[in-house]
Amino acid sequence: MTVRATIYSIFRGRKLATFGALWLCVIAIAAIGAQFIAPFDPLEIDPIARLTEPGLPYLFGTDHFGRDTFSRAVYGARMALIIGFGSVIVALVCGGLIGLLSAYFSTLGHFLMRIIDVLMAFPALLLALVLMTLLERSVLNTVIVIGIVYATTTARIFFGMTLKLKNEVFIDAARCSGASHSSILFKHILPNLWSPLLVQASFIFAFAQLQAAALDFLGLGLPPEVASWGNMLAEEKIYITRAPWLLMFPGALIILSVFSMNLVGDAMRDSIDPRFKNDIAGV
Amino acid sequence: MQCGTALILGLKTILQVCSVALLELDNLNIAVASKDKLLPVVHDCSLSLAEHETLGIVGESGCGKSLTALAIMGLLEGSQVKITSGSIVFDGQNLLEMKPSRRRLIMGDRMAMIFQEPMTSLNPVYRIGDQIIEVIRQHRRISNQGAKQRALELLELVKIPQPEDRINSFPHQLSGGQRQRVMIAIAMACDPALLIADEPTTALDVTVQKEVLDLMLDLQQRTGTSIILISHDLGVIAETCNEVAVMYRGRIIEKARTRQLFSHMAHPYTRGLLASIPSVVTDTDWLEAIPGRVPTIDEQLSGCAFHPRCAHTKTSCSQTEPPLIEVQEHHAVRCHFAGEI
Repeated sequence: MTVRATIYSIFRGRKLATFGALWLCVIAIAAIGAQFIAPFDPLEIDPIARLTEPGLPYLFGTDHFGRDTFSRAVYGARMALIIGFGSVIVALVCGGLIGLLSAYFSTLGHFLMRIIDVLMAFPALLLALVLMTLLERSVLNTVIVIGIVYATTTARIFFGMTLKLKNEVFIDAARCSGASHSSILFKHILPNLWSPLLVQASFIFAFAQLQAAALDFLGLGLPPEVASWGNMLAEEKIYITRAPWLLMFPGALIILSVFSMNLVGDAMRDSIDPRFKNDIAGV
Repeated sequence: MQCGTALILGLKTILQVCSVALLELDNLNIAVASKDKLLPVVHDCSLSLAEHETLGIVGESGCGKSLTALAIMGLLEGSQVKITSGSIVFDGQNLLEMKPSRRRLIMGDRMAMIFQEPMTSLNPVYRIGDQIIEVIRQHRRISNQGAKQRALELLELVKIPQPEDRINSFPHQLSGGQRQRVMIAIAMACDPALLIADEPTTALDVTVQKEVLDLMLDLQQRTGTSIILISHDLGVIAETCNEVAVMYRGRIIEKARTRQLFSHMAHPYTRGLLASIPSVVTDTDWLEAIPGRVPTIDEQLSGCAFHPRCAHTKTSCSQTEPPLIEVQEHHAVRCHFAGEI
């Protein structure tokens, strides 16, 4: 199936998912072209223009340092994508490897999957908080921590699917044609996991946003000077009565983006898994 | 000139007589590891297969024929099933003492296997051409182009129509018979000396069965591959094999050249198997059957494994297990009364 046909099959008849995908495109464009789109430097302080209401030239108003909220939101989109892709990569690589290897080599699996069980016993946010307190606040550490939190569920999913796949006849056929363990794992089993992997990636992407925003809000995520939607909420929460737009815009952006990512993820899952076909009308 | 030809002919015969068997199983014992004990599933299986020969292994489900094949291919590694004793000598090397990495060099190159289910034995995410090329390139130093050329030849050899188009098909775009042909192409990719076919036609329609069997025999004629054909269909075995081994409950109970076996069946079980094939010629209302069922592996049985179902059981049958005795040259039977019944 070509890429075009795949995209068509995912979004055909799913209006909300199409809306979600379009919104994600807007976010992506903002993130990539942030320096051309943002009218001001997101870090530039202008004490005279403190807490300006939304209007011209400050589209979303300014915060208590006089920084342009719109420019910060645009740069926040960039941060959102970095966090999203970074965590997805960390989660899929770590979790994927653990799941694959655990299922394929059962002795190793007994050991590794028990560690995963222990990690999964913690609520996601608590685990992230504990790990973040051990590390410095930085973009890389945030990505790693969120990645590790979601690597646990990914490992679980990969573990189950690999267990099933490794007993398929075509794996036996590959073995008796002389394929090595690594070739069986990465050339015969892994390609059969691409579609669930893609769906899992889309959900991790969405949940990573929420997780990052929560960490920022609690003051344990990205460094405070970084323009991220979570940081904007955290810094301006005390101005909720005086300048509610400072919370409205980043809050709305977080909600809309996470919602869109979930919609797209749902649509992808539905179009891949025949059991969900024609289910959940319109989504 | 004539003298020379005679000499060559003579040498050929000597070579044929002296030729060592390609594959020798010697007292192979296989057991399934259950909770705390080993349940034996294949007992003292000794077989030998010369080059260019076809050996048929027949038996009901669960008699150990597939396990024997998997043991030869080394597919039991890492499973609950263990080889407890015996040896598998292929090409003069004991496969059981070989390092896995060295054994992998032989697998797919010198020996190959075809499975029962053509629907699931191809990887669904790869084009069939790539699956053939992969096996070739695993064992031969050859360019991608060269391997593709070879894949096309193989597809033509297994009579896939329009190989140039089909080489880019995914497995789900092919029918069961075509997939089995592709499996044969993959198995034959490196001209193996030994091909194990585990019920290669069971999952196919009758008409396609015949085509696939003919194809395998045709390939054997061309390449001189030895074949082990596992089946529960005596008809298929009679048509294709030079030699037959009948298995029952993990034991070889009768072993002979095909003609000998079908003309002088000595074991009551083999006769029962043949008798249960309905005839096309005579009109019968009654289907012959062997009474009872194959005992499960954890049932303890003393004496002959077949005695509870045998029509000729005498007291000695339930006491001692009969050895595999040669009743004629190339004809061995595991029955106390082989000559008498």
